[in-house]
Amino acid sequence: MDILFLLIPLSVVLALLIIGALGWAVWRGQFEALEQEAERILHGD
Amino acid sequence: MQTAPSLPLLSAGPVPPAAGSATPWAALDEPAEWEGFSRPAAGREGWWESCLAIEGMHCAACALTVESVLRKLPGVDAVQVNGVTAVARLQWQPQATRPSAWMAALRQAGYGALPAGDLLLAGNRQRAQRLMLWRWLVAGFCMMQVMMYAAPAYLAPAGEITPDIRALLGWASWVLTLPVLLFSCWPFFAAALRDVRHLRIGMDVPVALGVLIAFGASTAATFDPASPWGEHASYDSVPMFVFFLLSGRLLEQRLRDRTAGALEALMRRLPDSVERQEAGGSFRAVAVRRLVPGDLVRVLPGQAFPADGDVESGESRVDQSLLTGESKPLLRRAGDGVIAGSHNLTSLLLVRVRRVGAQTRYAEIVALMEQASLEKPGLVQLVDRIASPFLAAVLLAAAAAAWWWWPFGQAHAMAVAVSVLIVTCPCALSLATPAAMLAGAGALARRGVLVRRLQALESCAAVDTVIFDKTGTLTEDRMDVVMAYTPAGVDRDEVCERAGALARQSLHPVSRAIAARFPVNASAPGWVASEVEEVAGRGLRGKVARLDGSDARYLYLGSAAFCRAPVPGRDAPVPQAHLSDGEHYLAGFELDEAIRPDAAQAVAALLQLGVRVQLLSGDTGQAVAHLARRAGIEWCFGECTPEMKLEHVRRLQREGHRVMMVGDGMNDGPVLAAADVSMAMGQAVPLAQARADFIMTGNRLASVAALLAQARRTRRVVRQNLLWAALYNAACVPLAIAGLMPTWLAGFGMAASSLLVVANSARLARYPREN
Repeated sequence: MDILFLLIPLSVVLALLIIGALGWAVWRGQFEALEQEAERILHGD
Repeated sequence: MQTAPSLPLLSAGPVPPAAGSATPWAALDEPAEWEGFSRPAAGREGWWESCLAIEGMHCAACALTVESVLRKLPGVDAVQVNGVTAVARLQWQPQATRPSAWMAALRQAGYGALPAGDLLLAGNRQRAQRLMLWRWLVAGFCMMQVMMYAAPAYLAPAGEITPDIRALLGWASWVLTLPVLLFSCWPFFAAALRDVRHLRIGMDVPVALGVLIAFGASTAATFDPASPWGEHASYDSVPMFVFFLLSGRLLEQRLRDRTAGALEALMRRLPDSVERQEAGGSFRAVAVRRLVPGDLVRVLPGQAFPADGDVESGESRVDQSLLTGESKPLLRRAGDGVIAGSHNLTSLLLVRVRRVGAQTRYAEIVALMEQASLEKPGLVQLVDRIASPFLAAVLLAAAAAAWWWWPFGQAHAMAVAVSVLIVTCPCALSLATPAAMLAGAGALARRGVLVRRLQALESCAAVDTVIFDKTGTLTEDRMDVVMAYTPAGVDRDEVCERAGALARQSLHPVSRAIAARFPVNASAPGWVASEVEEVAGRGLRGKVARLDGSDARYLYLGSAAFCRAPVPGRDAPVPQAHLSDGEHYLAGFELDEAIRPDAAQAVAALLQLGVRVQLLSGDTGQAVAHLARRAGIEWCFGECTPEMKLEHVRRLQREGHRVMMVGDGMNDGPVLAAADVSMAMGQAVPLAQARADFIMTGNRLASVAALLAQARRTRRVVRQNLLWAALYNAACVPLAIAGLMPTWLAGFGMAASSLLVVANSARLARYPREN
């Protein structure tokens, strides 16, 4: 049971990191123009 | 109206701006125009950054094609094309390239483009969207995580979890609720704070209050388990209902941005041009925006004045009816003032510009109109009026419920109060009307109908009579000479060429048809007309001579009465123009208007909607009846003056009918304004556009029926929305006060009711279907 005293705070830290990662993805435009980027590979330049 | 049949000169069709320089984009190459859609690129000396709205893009692959087209151009760099918004951003060097070059390259690749300065500012909208998405993701993720921490408390048998583990779980939940409260909830707090500062109650006040109370109670329970708040903290409910609320807001924002984008896209256009005298004395088309006081401009009959100014030379009649309400054309000669937005009717004028842009009377009037168009629809105003007392009642009800439940346990009392605060948020009520109207307007915009006033969409649903104007509305703005005849002994070619030379001086459809059919230089050395005067509604007169000045004759071209010569009796249900020299009849021209291909279909669709269709025109009764038969309209009335049209509309309104007027917008200004709802054809002059409630940008008559159907659907959806919102509140408030609604369910119910309203409204976006 003692391990919970480490794991629960760890999960909180992890959750905060993930929130940051979501922000990074949003501001990098990862959720915009989804199809266009998928097509780019078919568009030989 | 016993006068001889006259040409429909008064009901002139829409007139395009004078043909400008080589390409329609040339005006964009002038540095003064760049500011409209570009700005100096940040951090790159000598580079500009521009935004273009691309037309004709259908898929993600198109975006990549456009991107590579633009990239290949010399001097163009940093090209980004967004396939969803159809927007291209690029940087360019003025030394190496010009905007018209990109336009031409895109045209060649099969795409259209319009300068879109407004999109340079759209960065703000993108920021707002991203921020909202992040808030929503944070709320969703924290909700998940907090739920995990809460699960043991629900699942484990009492006493199985040690107090220290329970406290640890509580702290973990508290830490992960903080980002939700401080970041995700911020829009609610900001709005509530604004409302409180202005001493009013907005929708977000109860929400913010509910969130704060729930969080406060849970905090107390966590850090002081011995407190009366009990040891059972309800963290899980805060992130959950914040997540639900944000889901509703996010969808609402997406819908609104999409609609706004569709509406804005239609407002973009190439700059209007005007013929200005250059240093050398020649006239050249320049963008209206480039005019400065002191410029000399040439304004042809049928054109609008681009600025306030004084007549330098020429004499003409001027229609100011749209601006001043003066219905009679006014005579303007050298020294008189003319105002921007009024129309030159009869002959060419040279005007010295006095005031331009925002200083003109026209700009002031347009500003007034725009102010009026910001008016909220009546239903929205009603809801806004109800909302404030309603919210005050909600706060009171929450306080009363808390007071009632207090003796049964503090924590429970607070939970009930929070439920009441959250569940009654009248978001659905206040969204009901604007969401539906915006969705309806957005769908119409994509279909080629621009809604100028949302309010009109409301009145449009009640329309039971549609009145069409004829020229330029039911018919195309183009006429063709189908027959030219001359009496015996007249040189047919010669008189026709003279007629062509005379007709070139006017922009009226009949004149244009004659001018197009008979070019002035068919026989050397060509013809030239001088001293030309156009009499509105009647015809043209002027001297026509050979280019070298020989062989001059004073000629009349117009209606039979205008020509002052005996006209051989010819009976044809089509417009006719006659040419005489004042004594002798020289030639007659039969013209036919090309009826719009979808006119009959559009009329049939309107009749199917149960609407009466009428045709009013200034043209001869015969010609009008002929056209009405072809279009399938039973009730028609010819030889109407604008005053008669106005009287007719007023009479119908007195009889209790709701009238919609569809016109070309040029002479119909007063009638369009008098009708309950007005619609103008897209090529109409800009001022008429400002005056009509709806603009038909696609020039498809079928959109009239589509508009009516859409307005009725919108009204139905608005009523459904209002009914739903009212029912929802009536059912949920008592439940919450009775303590039967947990907080999370309250949040869910509130968000669900808003979403239902938004989703119901979004159904409108599917109509009218593309054919």
